[in-house]
Amino acid sequence: MSELATLARPYAEAAFKRAKETDSSKEWSENLAFLAAIMQDESLSAIVNNPKVAQDKLTQLLQDICQEQIKGEASNFLKILIENGRLSITSEIAVLFEQYKAEDEGYVDVDVITAYSLTKAEEQKFATSLKKTLNKNVNINASVDINLIGGFLVKAGDSVIDGSIGGQLQQLAKRI
Amino acid sequence: MQLNPSEISDLIKKRIEKFDVNVEAHTEGTVVSITDGIIKVHGLSDVMQGEMLEFPGDSYGMALNLERDSVGVVMLGAYQHITEGDTVKCTGKILEVPVGDALLGRVVDALGNPIDGKGDIDSNETSPVEKIAPGVIARKSVDQPVQLGLKSIDSMIPVGRGQRELIIGDRQTGKTAIAVDAIINQKTTGIKCIYVAIGQKRSSISNLVRKLEEHGAMAHTIIVSATASESAALQFIAPYAGCSMGEYFRDKGEDALIIYDDLTKQAWAYRQMSLLLRRPPGREAYPGDVFYIHSRLLERASRINAEEVEKLTGGKVKGKTGSLTALPIIETQGGDVSAFVPTNVISITDGQIFLESDLFNAGIRPAVNAGLSVSRVGGAAQTKIIKKLGGGIRLDLAQYRELAAFAQFASDLDDATRKQIERGQRVTELMKQNQYSPMSVAEMAVSLFAANEGFLDDLDVKKVRDFEEALQSYLKTEQTDLMTKINEKGDFNDEIKKGMTAAIKSFIKTSSW
Repeated sequence: MSELATLARPYAEAAFKRAKETDSSKEWSENLAFLAAIMQDESLSAIVNNPKVAQDKLTQLLQDICQEQIKGEASNFLKILIENGRLSITSEIAVLFEQYKAEDEGYVDVDVITAYSLTKAEEQKFATSLKKTLNKNVNINASVDINLIGGFLVKAGDSVIDGSIGGQLQQLAKRI
Repeated sequence: MQLNPSEISDLIKKRIEKFDVNVEAHTEGTVVSITDGIIKVHGLSDVMQGEMLEFPGDSYGMALNLERDSVGVVMLGAYQHITEGDTVKCTGKILEVPVGDALLGRVVDALGNPIDGKGDIDSNETSPVEKIAPGVIARKSVDQPVQLGLKSIDSMIPVGRGQRELIIGDRQTGKTAIAVDAIINQKTTGIKCIYVAIGQKRSSISNLVRKLEEHGAMAHTIIVSATASESAALQFIAPYAGCSMGEYFRDKGEDALIIYDDLTKQAWAYRQMSLLLRRPPGREAYPGDVFYIHSRLLERASRINAEEVEKLTGGKVKGKTGSLTALPIIETQGGDVSAFVPTNVISITDGQIFLESDLFNAGIRPAVNAGLSVSRVGGAAQTKIIKKLGGGIRLDLAQYRELAAFAQFASDLDDATRKQIERGQRVTELMKQNQYSPMSVAEMAVSLFAANEGFLDDLDVKKVRDFEEALQSYLKTEQTDLMTKINEKGDFNDEIKKGMTAAIKSFIKTSSW
């Protein structure tokens, strides 16, 4: 995983810089997400990873698949990926691209996991308090996990704020 | 200690009462790969170098390689239960071990957990394993002796409090024996001892503990053990952990002695870790910072002045200096002191005690090579009487070494040469000493005095040790006043000289050897 991130970084960085120059980061983001999605397809990845498939045939195939969605610079980007044999890291590139975008626009994606589903007002409360602690605009992804028993678990990137009863029980178990 | 169920539930109740519920914030990562005790973790964006990381199943690791997209972690202990994708938590703490008086008399592992089956260690204080050595202002020069209780070492290669004196030699030359005698001799001096065993057999450690208990030396000793069966990471940190335990005594104005047995194995453990972490290998496949692992460790052995002790104890201890003396041990291969690690440690330490297998096999034990052994700072610390009398011994042995080759032509030599050879033979004989029988300053002084004044010259070489033994037991019973006087003051003056001459003469009259 870490090695893939190292490989994907220059591609994501280049794509993001170009997107910013042309003020089209939204389109780029959609295109990359689409590419990442089609690369998840098993039959396609089998073809991509097959060394017997010639490069020009692969280019042809992918252009056929994406002709509607991917145009202009993004399709050039796709060609570069095919040329360099880096199609397998498209999903990492998409993830890193989103990170650059989020950083640039000054917001973070935050997973808020609770034992019971949140009301709109509660979500709003989370958003304001997290904005204060993280010093950034937040983009809340709420989900439910009954294993927490109560309380909440917040994940923003690598950092985790564990205010759940399940987590506290684990701490207590360790102490005893 | 047997607990009944109601007591146990009380205990748990108390723990729960004390447990403060707080929201825990930490950073997380995921395990990417596991190879030979080295774990690569993705994430952990704000991990510190050397930080403790928590793995599932209550196991811990230490972050060593911080790279852009991953962190290289060495596991402290078992890692077989960890799988790819497991979550790793930052603890925000650098590795710490318990320190304090409660550790005395105990055997602990590299993390300070007791392994002697004597129950928990009742110590509230902990100390980070890696610390920076005291600064220049905090230091004081070495001027008090550590008596190792061995004639040959205390007379010729004296060790002072706060000194780093290397014990170096091949396998089976009695390196550990010197260290153990040094520990036993601290029974009455109040110096606390820490023995760090690195990469040794468990059986040797249990033997050592038994021997120390037999000689009543366990009460002032901590044994830190990272045996050959433990992970390389534990073998690597054991000396630092032991050093932190010793610094506790130093920082509160006491004296401590630490023995690292041995640093060669620590370097091996570090080499293993570094190669697995893919750090580039250098000479003898050691990584580039193998000098630094030893220099930063040995630099922590030091003597600190009274002001520093006062500052560190918050004014509780005044007017007392603290010291941590280190006796690192290095094992050479085939007497090769020019190998990488031996040369490094020789250059770091304040002198070395060089042991030779030839001498050992010739029955000269401790097998100290007086010519190659030196103590760069111990002279200033040596007890006056030993310094005075030991000078002659050193000279006698040096002259003897030059002439020893001619010893077999004894009949053809001139008188002066023959005398020197004979004196040398007797002094060499006198320097032999049995294991587990360290000597006091007075005992040593009388033996050295007898040699200096030529009382041994008329004896048969084979009789020298019998003579010494009988002399010592005579002095112990008949001359207690003189002996206590020497032990107390440690001075050498005309009165002491007269007393010793008279005592030896009256002993010779009994001719009881």
